[in-house]
Amino acid sequence: MERQEILDGLLEVLRTVRTIDPERLVGVTEETDFLSDLSTPSTELINIAAKVEHKFDIEFEDEDIDRMGSTVKDVIDLILLAKSRKEKE
Amino acid sequence: MQAPGRKVAVVGMAGAFPTCKNLDEFNHKMFTDQSLVREWDTAVQYNKQIRSTVSGYITEEEMDLEPVWAPVAEKCPETYIDKLGRIPDINLATADMGSVWAMIGAQESVKMAGWTNKEVTSDMTGVVVASGGAGNQILRVAWHYFFVMGKKARIAGAHTVDRTMSYREAANVSCLLKTRGVAESITSACATGLGNIGYAYRLIKYGIQDRAIAGGLESTAFETFIGFDGMMILAKGFSPEESSRPFDMKRNGFVCSFGAGIVALEAYDMAKARGANIIAVIDEYFNNSDGDGDMFYPSFGGQQRLWKGLMPDIGMKPDVVKMHGTSTPVGDSVELLSVVDALGEEGYHMCAPKSQFGHMLGGAGSVEFITALLMLQNQKVLPCLNSDTLNPELEGFQKVPGWQGPDQPLAAYRHLVPQKTFAKEINRIACLNYGFGGTNSAISISRDI
Repeated sequence: MERQEILDGLLEVLRTVRTIDPERLVGVTEETDFLSDLSTPSTELINIAAKVEHKFDIEFEDEDIDRMGSTVKDVIDLILLAKSRKEKE
Repeated sequence: MQAPGRKVAVVGMAGAFPTCKNLDEFNHKMFTDQSLVREWDTAVQYNKQIRSTVSGYITEEEMDLEPVWAPVAEKCPETYIDKLGRIPDINLATADMGSVWAMIGAQESVKMAGWTNKEVTSDMTGVVVASGGAGNQILRVAWHYFFVMGKKARIAGAHTVDRTMSYREAANVSCLLKTRGVAESITSACATGLGNIGYAYRLIKYGIQDRAIAGGLESTAFETFIGFDGMMILAKGFSPEESSRPFDMKRNGFVCSFGAGIVALEAYDMAKARGANIIAVIDEYFNNSDGDGDMFYPSFGGQQRLWKGLMPDIGMKPDVVKMHGTSTPVGDSVELLSVVDALGEEGYHMCAPKSQFGHMLGGAGSVEFITALLMLQNQKVLPCLNSDTLNPELEGFQKVPGWQGPDQPLAAYRHLVPQKTFAKEINRIACLNYGFGGTNSAISISRDI
């Protein structure tokens, strides 16, 4: 799965998060920061993680989320990691 | 015990009412003797699992809200869309349905009060709002996914705590309005609604706050309904509009309902100085406990002491007593006789708003407080619908040796219990509410004349 494909799927998830202003999702790149650029409440990152797991049919380890940064790149990297772990199972 | 303090005015009111779009519609339906109780399709679908199927419930659609279902947890509202744009999304994210009602009610109460933003965000403006129960709807789903489905805790989302904690309504209202004073919830079962108003009144009376948003609510939750249905104390066997029948001989339980009542209180002198519309003046609030050691059974002695605390010198009787009047067999008769014991056999009337919308649990005291405010405004006494026949025989407890209350049957006081709305001069109203655990609350309000 290509990073752009994951980014598109992630944007689909983010459009369902009511606390993120949809206008801020225009022009999102991997460098976009959830906290500083999208003004996402920190508690909402947990909801986003749960929705991402559902969307991509993966499961994060708790430690993954503990260590997760706040940029789009961090989330995409985590999705790829979880997918590769799943493929090895 | 009463202590001297400042006068307190009611300057705003709003809420969530079954089958009503707004306060005006609620006012109209109440004073045209309409019932807000309906057959509840949610209860009906469970067939024999549930005993009672009538309720004064409120749907999301009726509040112009649209639930956004959590994609990973079936039938769990992740948040709501406010179709009228009243509440920002950031505040909706931390709110269960009842907290949304509380925020809408607070907004409308502030608007009616005419408070400036500086006044709302002052250190001297508090929020005292609560519901009777937990965030049952949200908790059920969160616990089901964890315990039954074996999912991770986070699957239910990050807002289970803020949407279910005991003081969620006060917290959400305070965050919405950005108030800086007291933010607390007072919970006392079915006396919660009045208890929060009474506590807020005391905060202002004793100079701790100048203004307060206060009230109580119970948000629509079938999970809450199930608990009371399991106690076999809900009304059964009548049409919806005839199910709630306080004081009637055929009453067989209360109608479990939902709703919210929020009011704006202000130090009287400050409200008067800025030319506010004074809806009512609070004369006194008093609350106590039965002391009988009984969780459920009403206490004549406790209610006698309640009246003595509220009106140590009953020189000026209330023109109307807004009764708790739930439609349960024992509670109603004890209450009616305790009022007669305190106020005598004439010179006032009793009304029972639950006969029109059922028992709103944590919202009962505050929504019924609003009905009292409307009675003052309209100069009309609300009825006790369906109180067709009062018992012509003595109640069992009246025959017990040592009984010191009125020795006449309930039917002897028919003239005090109207069956239709009627007009009369109303200057003073007393409101009564009681709750499980033997807690009793009473407030007296007057016209500002």
